[in-house]
Amino acid sequence: MTICVWCARTFEPPVTLQDLLRWRPLPVPALCLNCQERFTPITGAHCPACGRQQATTVRCHDCERWGAETLTNRALFQYDAGMKAYMQQYKFQGDYALRKALQTPLYQALAQQSYDVLVPIPVDQRTWLTRGFNQVTGWLHGQPFQQVLRVKADHKSQPQSAKTRAERLVTPQPFMLDAAAAKIIVNQRVLLLDDVYTTGRTLRQAASQIYLGGAKAVTSLTLAR
Amino acid sequence: MINLSEYFGRRLPATTGTDRLGTGKLAVKRVGQRYQCQRCQQWLANSDQLPNGAWYCRQCLQLGRVTSQTKLYTIPEPNRFSPSESPLTWTGKLSPDQQRAAEKIRQHVQQGQSQLLWAVTGAGKTEIVYPALAWAVARGWRVAWASPRVDVCLELAPRIQAAFAAVSQCVLYGEQPAPYRYSQLTVCTTHQLLRFEHAFDWIIVDEVDAFPLATSPLLQLAITRAEKPTGQHLYLTATPGEKLQRQIRQRTLVATYLPLRYHGYLLPQLRVKLAWRWREYLRKGRLPRPLIQQLLTYLQKGQRFLLFVPHVRDLPEIMAELGRQGIRGGVSVHAADPERTCKVQALRDQRLSFLVTTTILERGVTFPNIAVVILGGDDAVFSTAALVQIAGRAGRSAKFPGGEVTCYVQTQTRAVRRAQVMITRLNRQGKQRGGRRP
Repeated sequence: MTICVWCARTFEPPVTLQDLLRWRPLPVPALCLNCQERFTPITGAHCPACGRQQATTVRCHDCERWGAETLTNRALFQYDAGMKAYMQQYKFQGDYALRKALQTPLYQALAQQSYDVLVPIPVDQRTWLTRGFNQVTGWLHGQPFQQVLRVKADHKSQPQSAKTRAERLVTPQPFMLDAAAAKIIVNQRVLLLDDVYTTGRTLRQAASQIYLGGAKAVTSLTLAR
Repeated sequence: MINLSEYFGRRLPATTGTDRLGTGKLAVKRVGQRYQCQRCQQWLANSDQLPNGAWYCRQCLQLGRVTSQTKLYTIPEPNRFSPSESPLTWTGKLSPDQQRAAEKIRQHVQQGQSQLLWAVTGAGKTEIVYPALAWAVARGWRVAWASPRVDVCLELAPRIQAAFAAVSQCVLYGEQPAPYRYSQLTVCTTHQLLRFEHAFDWIIVDEVDAFPLATSPLLQLAITRAEKPTGQHLYLTATPGEKLQRQIRQRTLVATYLPLRYHGYLLPQLRVKLAWRWREYLRKGRLPRPLIQQLLTYLQKGQRFLLFVPHVRDLPEIMAELGRQGIRGGVSVHAADPERTCKVQALRDQRLSFLVTTTILERGVTFPNIAVVILGGDDAVFSTAALVQIAGRAGRSAKFPGGEVTCYVQTQTRAVRRAQVMITRLNRQGKQRGGRRP
């Protein structure tokens, strides 16, 4: 009997033969089957640049609009009603325990990526004080990461999620590199990690800062697209 | 600039103006080795810590997160109202039976007793409380009308607004758009009471046996704490649970009975029909033959009906099978359905001929002249209270006091039998007061 971290109902986690043969403690899923189904994984064809689910594998319309400012992003889930409800409770209501819900899929996705340094997108000081946690590092479960990015102190902290697309695109560079960053990222392959890819503005700004620090390559991974 | 009246009798976090609110209390307090939320009194799990070191409560998260760094502020309830002499603007008339019950309730309120009104479904519970409520409001009391169900609150609010037009009122529920306003009458869900402390002189709890109040110690505590130490409460229900019935028998709770509907007819009894292995049939996408027959007859007669099924996940299959059998012209509705109110209204307006639904429509909805069919009354989701409530959907209007209630089961269960016994008993009491068979 396990309690689902999202809906708080008890459920019986399914046990496969594989789990038994592994002869290890059984994995304890954080979500019940119903809650798992609220997320829609991105499978099959997707945009090679931003990771959005689509029928073809050519760059999508939004990525074409970015022109030369390219970035290779992968996303795990579609940003649909279920994911919105999750983000609402996790990020905006601040239910830190919900981080467990997506730790396992993120763990598996990270294992498939090739990178040297993992850099989560930081939150600004005011968010840190009110929210009490960084929503991105919350999903990491034992994986090493380097917090080389910081939010500039003079950055106006209107959240990206409260803006329109046009407003988002003109946002000035919010990030700066940590003093000790150069040693860590020089000549390394860096993977940026963020929660939602919407316009791609934030990730591109973070990527340009990382490149300035001398990284060899920058790719990104987001939970939702 | 903060509005101090928002803190009258409440317990809220504050961001500005804390110097005018007194010291405040920590929202999450360490008690021994554990932490306890001071808003909902629940214990925190030892994993509910944030990376910045604060502890937060997950139980009442929906009301806005409180952490061990938050402070809650209260201003003791000042009852700052200007009561009018006769606040009741309702012009309807109570039947002699209702009159008697209303008088009794008023007496108990005046004596300061907490009490229960046990009135059958469709007895007109709301109106019976009006005289007592008018008395309380005229005295300058602050009163809350709380219910565990949002639907009930939404349905009640305009009625109470119309009945007490000159009294300041506000409605509180989870997704409400309007901001909070300090007012004498508060119509709210029981969850919202968690934000109050010693605020109300009188709390009326509507549908006290409904989910989730009946099984939630958190909400029961919320009621006790929202009440002033000198305050009292009134429970309204058609189907009190075992615990309340015991309290009545032990005379720790005063009860007023109203075993007769406002139109003076008796309740329709549950008619149980056997449907062998309905669950296995359903899994194969089939429905019991007698049920199909009955529904077809209803359709031919133009009789509208409600079909209650145990689970939301059964709905698509049942709808498909009904369609195959030629039973069309209705839709299914469940709790998370965005068009729920719209569909219910469509049935009321006779634009639909039936609704297939789960227990969410068991209370708080009225359709004139409706037949009720329950598929799988032996399923665990149909408690005694649920069955009596569902049966109470039939025959509610004075024009059509009759109404068939059919319950298909594989085996007689205790819940079904108890529901029948309860209806029989209420009908026996009703007959003594001159109830007629429809």
